[in-house]
Formats: sequence, C-alpha cells, structure tokens
Amino acid sequence: MEIVEVVRAGGKPFKRAYVSIFLWFTGRAIQAAAKVDEQVRREFNSLPDDFTFSLGVLPDGPWMVIGREKGQVKYLGGDPEGRHLHVRLAMKNIETAFLILSFRESTALATARNRLITEGEVPQALAMIRVMDIVEVYLLPKMIARLAVKRYPSWTPGRKFFGRIGIYSRAMLGI
Amino acid sequence: MVLPDYYEFCCRVKIVAGHDALEQIPGLLSEKGAKKPLIITDKGVAGAGLIDVVSRVLQDRLAGILIADNVPPDSDLRIVHQLAQFYRDNGCDAIIAVGGGSVMDTAKGVNIVVSENASDLMAFSGAGALKRPLKPLIAIPTTAGTGSEVTQVAVIKDHEKHLKMAFLSYFLLPDVSILDPRMTMTMPPFITAMTGMDALSHATEAYYCLQKNPLSDAHALSAVSMIYQHLPMVVQNPSDLNGRLAMSIGACLAGIAFSNSMTGIVHNLGHASGSVCGVPHGLAMAILLPYGLEYNMHKCEDIIARLLLPMAGETDYLNTPKEQKAQKVVSLIRQMNEDLHILTNGRHARCFREVKDREGKPMVPRETLPEIAGAALLDGASMYNPEDTDYTDNLMVLEAAWEGCPLDLSKVKKG
Repeated sequence: MEIVEVVRAGGKPFKRAYVSIFLWFTGRAIQAAAKVDEQVRREFNSLPDDFTFSLGVLPDGPWMVIGREKGQVKYLGGDPEGRHLHVRLAMKNIETAFLILSFRESTALATARNRLITEGEVPQALAMIRVMDIVEVYLLPKMIARLAVKRYPSWTPGRKFFGRIGIYSRAMLGI
Repeated sequence: MVLPDYYEFCCRVKIVAGHDALEQIPGLLSEKGAKKPLIITDKGVAGAGLIDVVSRVLQDRLAGILIADNVPPDSDLRIVHQLAQFYRDNGCDAIIAVGGGSVMDTAKGVNIVVSENASDLMAFSGAGALKRPLKPLIAIPTTAGTGSEVTQVAVIKDHEKHLKMAFLSYFLLPDVSILDPRMTMTMPPFITAMTGMDALSHATEAYYCLQKNPLSDAHALSAVSMIYQHLPMVVQNPSDLNGRLAMSIGACLAGIAFSNSMTGIVHNLGHASGSVCGVPHGLAMAILLPYGLEYNMHKCEDIIARLLLPMAGETDYLNTPKEQKAQKVVSLIRQMNEDLHILTNGRHARCFREVKDREGKPMVPRETLPEIAGAALLDGASMYNPEDTDYTDNLMVLEAAWEGCPLDLSKVKKG
C-alpha cells in the first residue's frame, strides 16, 4: 500500500504554549505554597521523603515535576525522563489538557470523564489533587476557581490575602 | 436525563441468568475450548453444599473436576500463588469461581498469574498492566450484592506486608457470569439483607455520582427497581426462587452500573469503617446510604428525586410534590433498613452504634469515628462524589450515622 501522507504528532502551538506556561507556573506555585500554606505543608509531610510527582500531557508533554528534597518541596523542571515517579497524573492529549487547564472542567469531573490517567498509589494521588486545588484557589479569582474545584473553601480573608501575595511573589522569583 | 460531554462504558461479560442456568456450564466451557476447569471457592460455600450443585452439573460431562476451597474471607496473596501452582501442576485450562467478593478477587488474581506465566502477582498491580486476554473465567456469585461477577477490578491483600493492592483491567472481566437462584438460596436472612443493601448502594451511588452516564443510568434504575421490590420478600421468604433470581439480576445490573460510573461518599466512608473497625461492607453500605443521599442533596436533588419512580412506582411518584420527591427517596431507604431490622430480629443494624461482633460487643466505639474520618481521606471513592469531602465533613456524617439520626442539612458546607 502506498503511503499518501504521514500524520505527525504536534501542532496546536497556542494550546501547547498555554499548557507549558501553566504547568511551569503551577509547579513554582506549588513549591511556594508548601512554604506559605500550613495545609499544603501538612499534605507534603504525609508523603515519603523522596516523593516525586509529575503532571503533564500524553504522549510527549509538556510536563512539570515536583519533588521533596531534604524536607523541602521543589519544582524540578519539566522533564520527568529517568526519574522515579511516585505519582504521575497524565492528561490524555493536548485538547484535554487545555480543557482542564482553562478551567472549563474541574479536576474531579475530568477524572470522572476518563480524561486523566493516574499512576501510583491512590492516597498519594489524592493528596496531590488536594494540593493542586488549594493552589488553584490561591492563584485564581473566585469566579474562575469555583469552576476548577468542587467546593470553594471558606477561608479567612487573611489566609487568602497574605497567602496569595506570598505564593505569587515566591512563584515569580522561584523561591 | 444528564448527558455528559464525554463518557466511557464497557461491559463485555456474557450473562447467563435463570432457573437451572448452571446446566449451561459444560457448553460454555466447550465454547472456550476448555476441558479441565479449576473450581475456586471457600469453605463456607462448600459447606453449604453449593459446590455439590455445580459438581453434579459437570461430573457427567468432564473427566475430572478439581476443587480448591481454601479461599479465606479476605483475599490473600499467598493463597493466590498457591492456587496458581495447583492450577499449573494439574494442567487446568479454565477457572470457575464460586462465591462472594473474596473468591472472585482471588480467582481473578490466580488468572493473572497463570495466564501471564508469572511468579509474582504484584508485578501486575494498578491500572493497565495487563495487555492481553487471560484464561477463561466463569463467575458464579453466591451472594446478590458485590457485583464482582461483572467488574474489572480485583483487590488482593498481602497480609505479610500489610498491603492491599488493586488490579484494574478490562481483561479481568469474567468471560461468563452465571446467575442461578439455587446458588443464593442458602444465604441466611441477615446476610441476604446486607448484601442486598450493598447492591442497592451500588445502584444508587452509580446514579448520582460524577461519572454517571446514560448507559450506567439505565442499569442503575433497573437495579433499584428490582432490588427495592424483592429484597424484603427474599429476606422474609428465603426459598422464593423468583425473588432470589430477581435479586441476583438486580445486583448484576448494579455491578455493571457502578463499575462504569463509580461510587462516592457512601463507599468512601464504608471502606474506611471496614478497614478501621472491621464493619461488614454490606452493613456499612446500608447504614451510610441515606446519609450519602442527604449529604449530596443540595448538589443533585433532581437526580435523587428520579429514584422515587423505580422505588415507589408511578402513582406515588406522581402524587408526591416535586420538592418532596428526593427526601422521600431517603425516607424509603431508611424505612427499608427499619423493615430489614425487624425481619432479621435486630441483626440488621440501622446505625453504627448497633453494629456488634459475634460476641455481641460493639464494633464501632464512638471514639474510633475520628480515625475512620481520617482513613476515608486515603480512599479514591471520594473523587467521584458530587460534593467535596474533607475530614470535618466525614466526621459529621459518621457521627450522625453512629447515632442513627438524620443529617442536619444546615451543617453541610456548600461552596
């Protein structure tokens, strides 16, 4: 049979760029939230000392990797290759990733609609989903965050205000 | 009808159901090219004479029937490996699982090891590790509750390492499930009641949880109708063959529904109360089901209201004001628990403080509720519940379910 056309993976540069930037910033924000928010710190403390987590898009990325190193939560870049991952959350394709990361579908609903593949132990994956929900509430205005989480939390104005400043500034500076 | 933007649904199990359905086993084995099946069961099933029923069907048609009846009440990795070796040593070519959830899970585990010619089952844990079809597996449930005969999951415990591993794959679906009322007739009323409520919880949760879809809904509604109508009848009259068959079909329908739409807070807290206090799963489901509906009422009142039709029938459904329909569903389930409590002479507990062990000691002391609430945070079922759940939510529901009083809906957090 003659090959008429080879279909190559890739394309959709705008969506791919959006997802890449989102994952990069969220990774840094999770690192920051582990320093700023007590609940996030508690979630990470319940995980193994060398815990490593990755969130990204199948088949070729982009990805972000978060890990614990010497008790500190660190954003470890965008390349999970060669790392031992305790939990991997993979969005099935770039369209799915864009749908979730543009907050048209919550993480819970995306899971229910088989758009995410979870690899690793369930309790650890649930802890990371709780962390991401908290970070989304900090990063996003209430109107948008309500689309991303099942229930918008009733935090004190102080927690929200100072937490938001702390996380945004640390994420920008990468500290 | 809720139409999701996207969903997936799969059930490729051949269901053979009816009076004398067991007689089909030789033909079904021959369709699969199998001549020497290994029957996997437990001592309770064998002691009740149910294996004799299966053996009688097979003995005229097959040369030798091998039976292993050492499955413990909790599936066990060591037993899986032992049975796999027994299967290989005897040159078996198919598995017939006769029993409840533990037997089904064990048989699925054995099937992985013998089909993959593996030495360690744990190498196949998690989702998607299996890449090809397994040996023929025929499932014959002896309870009408778990739905394991149509689910793609197996949970095997490694008691030495205190690990509970889940195996998830479409290849774990049995090839055939046989629903024959003779196999559930010997179940005592107390077990019939709690396994039946387990099936009702599968159907109900499948109908209101996040992964619901039109196909799972169709199965769930039929299941609710069958179980709600027939459960009190078979508890009252265990030898009602038609009632037993209806319950088996109802549980099977509920199994198909929940394995495609998952479950929520009822199973979430039920798994945790089982792991912390050893509460029998079906009993935990019966107790928690009305609370799960109440907890999610503000998010899916319309959906819950639709369950009134298969439960109460057309006349009651039409005569109940719209705003009272969902609450009536909760009341009917509470009433069913009350009826089952009376029919089983008090053995069917209505709340956690009534759950007792064989020696009559309470199984759920009130001070264990915080531990159960914490353990529930580690269970994946919370993901599919319509409303979010945290530690304080779990504790609030558990305290109400311990007392046996309705949930104070004003205390349910809404975001």
